[in-house]
Amino acid sequence: MYGRVAHARPFVALIAAVGIATLVGCGSSGNPTSTSSGGSTGTGAVKSSDCGTKPGVKATGTPINLGAIVTDQTGTSFADIAYMADAYFTCVNANGGINGHPIKYYIETEQTQPAQIAGDANQLVQTDQVLGIVGNTSIIECSVDSSYWQQHGFYIIDSGIAPECYSTSNSAAVNMGPRYSSDGAVQYAISQHVSKIVFDQANVPGTQHIAAGPNALAAAAHIPIVDLAETPPVTSANSVAIKEVNDAGPNGAVILNFTPPDALTILQAAQKLGIVDHVKMWGCSTPCNTDFLAQSLGAQWNSKLFVNAELTPPDSTNSKTMQLYNAILKDYGSSGPHKVAGGVGSFSQMGFTEAEIAVHALEGIKGAYTVASVNAAFKGVTNFDTGMLCQKWTYGGYSSHLPNNMDYTVTPNNGKMTTAQGCTQISSVDPDIAAYRQEAGVAPLDPTANG
Amino acid sequence: MPSWQNFQPFIVTGLALGGVYALSGVGLVVLYQATGVVYLALGAVGAMGALISYSLIAAGVAPWLTWLVCLLFSGAVTLAYGMIFGPLLAKREPLVKATATLGLLLVLFGVMDLLWTTSSGKVRSLTFPTDGHGFSLGNVNITWTQVIGLAVGIAITIGTAAFLRFTKLGTAMRAMANDREITATLGVPVRRVEAAAWLGCGILAGIAGLLLADMVALDATTLTFLVISSLAAALIARLRSIVLTFVAAIVVGLVQNMLVPIPALTSYSNMAPFVLAAVALLLISRRRVITLSREEA
Repeated sequence: MYGRVAHARPFVALIAAVGIATLVGCGSSGNPTSTSSGGSTGTGAVKSSDCGTKPGVKATGTPINLGAIVTDQTGTSFADIAYMADAYFTCVNANGGINGHPIKYYIETEQTQPAQIAGDANQLVQTDQVLGIVGNTSIIECSVDSSYWQQHGFYIIDSGIAPECYSTSNSAAVNMGPRYSSDGAVQYAISQHVSKIVFDQANVPGTQHIAAGPNALAAAAHIPIVDLAETPPVTSANSVAIKEVNDAGPNGAVILNFTPPDALTILQAAQKLGIVDHVKMWGCSTPCNTDFLAQSLGAQWNSKLFVNAELTPPDSTNSKTMQLYNAILKDYGSSGPHKVAGGVGSFSQMGFTEAEIAVHALEGIKGAYTVASVNAAFKGVTNFDTGMLCQKWTYGGYSSHLPNNMDYTVTPNNGKMTTAQGCTQISSVDPDIAAYRQEAGVAPLDPTANG
Repeated sequence: MPSWQNFQPFIVTGLALGGVYALSGVGLVVLYQATGVVYLALGAVGAMGALISYSLIAAGVAPWLTWLVCLLFSGAVTLAYGMIFGPLLAKREPLVKATATLGLLLVLFGVMDLLWTTSSGKVRSLTFPTDGHGFSLGNVNITWTQVIGLAVGIAITIGTAAFLRFTKLGTAMRAMANDREITATLGVPVRRVEAAAWLGCGILAGIAGLLLADMVALDATTLTFLVISSLAAALIARLRSIVLTFVAAIVVGLVQNMLVPIPALTSYSNMAPFVLAAVALLLISRRRVITLSREEA
């Protein structure tokens, strides 16, 4: 989910800025009684109907309205995240709902225009009468709407991209976002004793904020780092790949922070040019963690590309949560207008996890479902076992929110992404991580994440 | 400033891209000479041909067969446009003729956006068996695909020059470039000659589309507007000289790519074709008045 780009050519002004971002996720409730997913372990067969408390019983009560705003534009689309959340909610509605109430989910798409995004928030609150916001994933939405949500008492459960998704009191993400996921990728490269790092990312709003993390880690390790930025969508991939390899050198690492399409374009260009082995390793933030990318790249990248994975690797995990995720994706996310186009991967895992947390919180509400009760429930989620993250997930009343700050590293292995390194804390050398841990501490491990 | 060693791989990519720009630039020049039309839809036609090829490969069709389908599609669409709209616009100003091809571009662009949507994170790529294979020259890897890119550009340039000079059809095209009316009165089958030019240009668009889809990106927007680089080369050659078009295309490709390793200029590399074309046209215009009208030139 990191950036993607635009390329402009005369005549028509096409340009798209595009965004990016990484997302991570984890967490689950300290009260894993409600929905089927809430981080269960074991390997028994799980059906999608296990998503609800009453399998096979359709919810017919008064709807609980929830909403989401996602970027969906040429070159950058985070729609899969909201679509997967929608699949989860649809599953819950078909299997008992929330105490008999179905969830009605409103998805607004935007094209990185602040006025449009502000209008979307207003539409959701004033017109659609949503009680909570779940699944937001946008390049600039957190920056635009943060104060609006605060004014209206909303505590957002989202996939973060913009800095405000992490640095404010009323947004908690399941992912780490582009900066901290890039930290993870750079951290892994440093652990492999590379002599130089080239950090290349999509030239979208927030690039300096994102680059600050990797630069801090490289500086602490006394390793030179070169920062590059490409206008998305990447249309000169050959040149980009050559430039990265030239700058990194034979013992260096190239770390990419792009959306999957752009990252794949660059990696394929390197492959076509035969320069994959001209550097010691390639790295990538979370967006590259998709089987689609592993399948597209082929065996040449096995143990050559290392991807930061903010969520439990789906190919190497057979927990009940992962089985439920796969079942819901298959039964509710594989067709229709909200088809999860990317299939298994970080984006759909994030949508699943956000919906899972929301359903868990909603099921704990006693009394009427109102903006106040729903958002109090969201904010009150503590040490929830999502089954998708290294750590238990907590919202809490903190001034900033980085509930997911421990992750995996995966590598392609014959068309699948497999674990190269297990749960590892992102370094507190990044001052943002240090500040959050000082306030919230280090969350316990999620025992259900790996089955 | 990067070292000479850092520039070397960009020279290779520049030459390869320049070769592809040259072959589509040659197509533009020949078509303009024969019909008076600046074919702005060339990139879109090639892009759609490449996307069709991609879809057929994904459906299990042999790659070589899909490449053939791409060329047939590009040739057929271009020929159909020429046969339908060519006569209708024959008496109109060159600017009108060029603008009309923008209509075809927009139609194709819309269809591609509909059938091969770029939203939802879709990624497509086209690869050739020659990718990743090649040889080293010093510290630089050169792939066979890059060699093909340049070689096809050279071959098309030489072949087209020979065709125009030594064949009856080529002679007819050159005659039409000088004066369409007189050529017609001399008994030359003008429509047939124009059809050949449209078909040839369409096939070149297909070849360029396939090569650029592999060397740059399989993306409708990217490929559609890469025609600008070829057009810049053709304009530098004043839409007349095939050899000069080839040279200009190589220069455009080289400059565009060699700006990349220079940190201060890398963001401006995509401007190179326009800047070069603008400078060339300004220099030319100091010596004579430029006109877009083939008949007046």
